[in-house]
Parts: sequence; C-alpha cells; structure tokens
Amino acid sequence: MRMPDKKGYFGDFGGRFIPETLSFCLRELEESYFKFKKDKRSLRELDFYLKEYAGRPTPLYFAGKLSEYLGIKVYLKREDLLHTGAHKINNTLGQIFLARHMGKKRIIAETGAGQHGVATATVAARFGFKCDVYMGEEDMRRQKTNVFKMEILGANVFPVRSGSKTLKDACNEAIRDWVTNVKDTYYLLGSVVGPHPYPLIVRDFQSVIGKEARSQIIKKENRLPDYLVACVGGGSNAIGLFHPFFDDKKVKNIGVEAGGLGLSSLNCASLIKGKVGILHGAKSFLLQDEFGQIKATHSIAAGLDYPGVGPEHSFYKRIKKACYVAVSDKEALHGFKMLSKLEGIIPALEPSHALYYLKKIAKKNKGSLVILCLSGRGDKDLDIVREKRGKIKDKDKG
Amino acid sequence: MGKIENKFRELKAKKKKAFIVYIPFGFPSISLSGKIITSLDKSGVDFIEVGFPFSDPLADGTIIQKATQISLKNGVNPDYFFAGLEKLKSKVKAPLIILTYYNPVYMLGLKKFLKKSKDAGVGGIMIVDLPIEEAGNYIKEAQKYELDTIFFVTPATEFERAQKIMKLCRGFVYYVSVTGITGPKDFFIKSVLEHIKRLKSCTDIAICVGFGIHNREQVRKLTKESDGIIVGSAIVKYIDDHYQEKNFLNMLSTYVKGFQE
Repeated sequence: MRMPDKKGYFGDFGGRFIPETLSFCLRELEESYFKFKKDKRSLRELDFYLKEYAGRPTPLYFAGKLSEYLGIKVYLKREDLLHTGAHKINNTLGQIFLARHMGKKRIIAETGAGQHGVATATVAARFGFKCDVYMGEEDMRRQKTNVFKMEILGANVFPVRSGSKTLKDACNEAIRDWVTNVKDTYYLLGSVVGPHPYPLIVRDFQSVIGKEARSQIIKKENRLPDYLVACVGGGSNAIGLFHPFFDDKKVKNIGVEAGGLGLSSLNCASLIKGKVGILHGAKSFLLQDEFGQIKATHSIAAGLDYPGVGPEHSFYKRIKKACYVAVSDKEALHGFKMLSKLEGIIPALEPSHALYYLKKIAKKNKGSLVILCLSGRGDKDLDIVREKRGKIKDKDKG
Repeated sequence: MGKIENKFRELKAKKKKAFIVYIPFGFPSISLSGKIITSLDKSGVDFIEVGFPFSDPLADGTIIQKATQISLKNGVNPDYFFAGLEKLKSKVKAPLIILTYYNPVYMLGLKKFLKKSKDAGVGGIMIVDLPIEEAGNYIKEAQKYELDTIFFVTPATEFERAQKIMKLCRGFVYYVSVTGITGPKDFFIKSVLEHIKRLKSCTDIAICVGFGIHNREQVRKLTKESDGIIVGSAIVKYIDDHYQEKNFLNMLSTYVKGFQE
C-alpha cells in the first residue's frame, strides 16, 4: 500500500492535527505538491539545481581506514559535501520551487542546529524570497556561526525565548507566525514532521539520498548492504536513506536517536522512551509526561534536540521495518573523534551519533556491509566540542 | 437540548447577546481560579470557557502562553482540573466549556476525558487542534455523553467548508475574528461582520466571535451580527496585572462588566 494514505497517515501515525486557520493552506499545499510532482519542467529545474548548485550526486565513499579499524565494511553517503554542509539543502531546494509555484512571497522556517535555517536562507537568497527564521535562544548561543551565516544570506533570525528555547519552541513560533500570515507566507518545514503533507514532501525530497546510495552500492559492491544507519531527530536524513530500500527485505534499517545524558535522564529518544501523542500537527511517538505535557529534552546535537519524531519512523518502528537505538552525548563525541582521526572527515555532532553505533554493529556482525548517512559536516560544532573537551580535561586534572 | 443551547434560547428571549469569558484553569493559582470563575458567573458572564493547559499551545499568543505555563507549574493535571470543576458545579450557573489541545485529551483517553467532563457538569468542548477531518470519533463519543462539540470557523475557511463545520457544531460556532493567534489586537470589523452575516444565512446555530477582542467598542460592533463574543487574553492579562491587589475580585467584576454595558 502507498504511504501515507489520503489523510496523511502512515498506519496509525501522522494525520493533520492543526488549528482550523491552517486547514486551507495545507490542502492548498498538498494540491500544489501533487501538481508539482507531475510538472516535468519544474522537476528538471530542480534536478539542475541539485546537481549544479548543491553538488549532487554526493559520493558514496568507502571509508577504508575506518572499516579496517572496526572490522566491517563502511560506506559513507557524503551529504556533508553538499552546499551549506548538510542534507538539508535537498529539501529546501525542492520546497522553494514549490513556494514559487504557489506564488508565495515570504518564507519562514524553524531551525535547531541552524543547518535547515542556513539551507533555507540560501535558497531564499538565490530565488528572491524574504526569509524569517525562528531559532531557540539556547540554540543561537550554541550554533553562533550558523546564525551569522543566515544573517549574511539576508535572513532575519528571531530568537525564541519560550519553553526550552530549542527546536520544539522554534517550531511553535514558526507555526504561530504561519497562522498569522497564512496568505503570503510559505512555511518551509525542515524535517519529516508536522501535519500532512509535510512528512510526505520532505521524505520525497530527501529520498534522493537513498536512491543514489542504492545504485552506487550496487555498482561498487554488486549487492545490497546489510545495514543502513542514520541519526534520527525529526528523521529526515534517515527516512531519505531508508525509503528507497523499503522493498529490500534483507536490508536492516537502524535509526540512531540522541541518548543525551542517558536514557533515564534528559534525552531525545522519542521512539525508545516516548509514548504516542500529538505534537506539531501529527500523531507520533513523543517524549511526554503521563498527562500529555511535552517533556524537556537534551542532546549535545542541537539538530536532534526535539521531543517528537516523524510519523513515518513511528510506523517503521511499529511494523519493525527499522530498529531504533540511542547513543549518548559522550558516545557521540567519541564517534566524532573516531571519524576525524581515522578518515580526516570532521562530522557534525548529529551523524556522530550514528558513527558511534558502528562500533556496536561491528561487535555483533563482523564483516557486514554498512551504508551510513553522513548527514552533515562538523564546522558548526567546533565550539561545542572545544567546550566539552575542556571540561573533560578539567575533570582529568581534578 | 443541551445546557448551551438552552442558555442561548434564554438570551434570545431577552434579546441579549452572549458574553463569554476564557479563563485558564489553575491561573494564577488553583484556588484563585475557582474564585475567579465563581465571581465571573456572578458578574453576569453567560458562558465560561475553562482552559485545560497544554505545554505547547501553538494557537496562543504570549499572554495565554504565560498563563498556561503558570497553570502547569501550579501542578494542574486532569485530577485537579476535574475536581476543581466538580466543586464549581453547584455554585456556577453559567455553562462551562472546556477549551484545550488534543494531546492531553488523547493521553488521558478520549472516552475518559468526555466522561469526566460530563460528570463535572461541563456543557461543551473545544479542541483547538482537532479539525473536523480528525474529529469523527470525538463527535460520536461526545454525543453519547451529551457534550456539545464546538468547532472553529476562520476567515481562511472557505464557505463550503464552513457550512460543513457548522453542521458538526453543537451549542455554538466559534468564529475566529482574524487569521492569527490569541491576544488583544485591532482588526477590521467590517469584513468579520460580512462573513458572519453570510454564515448566519445558512444556519440556525449561534455564532460567537473570539480572538483579539479587548474593548467595549469592538464588542458593540461585533454583536450587531454575531450571537455573542468571547474575551480571553484581555481578561487573562487583567488578572495577571491585578490579582495581588486587595480588592481584586471586585475590580475584575467591574472590568468584565465594562465590556457588556
């Protein structure tokens, strides 16, 4: 069966739980998207920009030294090499054409780590849209470089001071803006979350990751991989990798959530520790208390610091299409160092979670063939890593 | 006939329009919000919307966001909430309507939520983020408990859809004055009146206007076409600014009456 269904459900998950004011524009968006998908000229134009502007296809790089170290065969899908430094541009390019198609003049977006914000500000600059980005104050502090980048690109970055001052609250604020300016404004959502049709649209635009990876691995190895591994916050890079392999029954999907300070402490492991609920327009697994109030979260990676997860991941969990695991802040830092030292590639802290999990796979299944989505590069995280290293060293001294 | 419809019939006979007030439960404190509701009832408020707090109220502006945070900090949960309403049941004449978001309802269990609402003497329910497409089961269950389902129509709702929504409304239709979030603002009243007039031409159910209303002048103009008006943020802000004053409940009563004179 084709997922999602007409009402935007992946099995029991997804849907459209929104204030009435947004109903019209979501139906308008859905209709425009289906038209856009059939419009060969727009699709050709998107292809052109993905290739010439963003740098697709990205290499599927055989990480030989890392493979030797771990005793498994690891290929990295190099989304970190894309323009703006992460997979986010796949989606923002797609959606900016959609916004143009719909005749909108202004773009708004939420951002956590700032990668989606930068990718949005980038396409807004290129295609001539006014751009306002909402970002939690706490995230603005820890991802300063990206704030500066957005400003250079001509976007306004609005600090969000409500709640936990991170991605969830930035989403709330973006939705509030959208409800208010619904006529001329396009909400360019950055992950496979939110009300239908966003999880579908973002998944489709990110599926380019898995499509390329699938044909690349067949060319290089003449077979399909044993594992696909990707980090999951909202889950767009993971679903982008997993989706094109959906019918490949033997390929195991592993989504790595942010374990934060630990699974019994503050974390972002919605699929492992959460319960089903409704947030930001969709039914999905959610970190919440027994009364349905959303819980505080924490991750060293601002891009994973979110209490919810895309409904399609909840569906994958339910039908056991993917296995979801958690990697802590500390372990992610280990993954960060491991790739930097062995391969000369500095990863973002988000995929560093996935990188660490390779060690676990290596322990269980020596010699297996793995594709890992290296969703972004680490430039934005250098301050955080420096700060953490300082702390670790101080402790050692004490 | 439900409590809400009854009340509208009463008002109609007196040629009066409904004056509806929104109060977040547990704000500024659990005990004071009970007193506020009782006092509003005595001041002649026709319906009281009681807010059940949700941590992420994405249709609300800063005033109600702040009140919601305080209410949650005060420990409001379904037990406190329904016990609080139960206590008011015999004291308050104005029908109570619960306003909330879907997640706390879903978490408690829809049926349980409706049963507790019914037992607490509630007249109707509004769930901000439950549009008609997702509301099938909710409508069916609410009917079983004889609770009115109040849905929203907004300036962004197409006429055909509005007709569909109004058919699913019991008690009254909540007309949202502006595309936007809650909070005092000045808006173009003429287009609201025109929209309501058009809606009224195809329904018998009462239509009340809310969002942004903060002064007497708006109330006077809006009641020309609508059957009632809803004031939320303006009153919440008044409470926030004045609740520590000695004569607070009397002051609030005067303030609220100021909208109706």
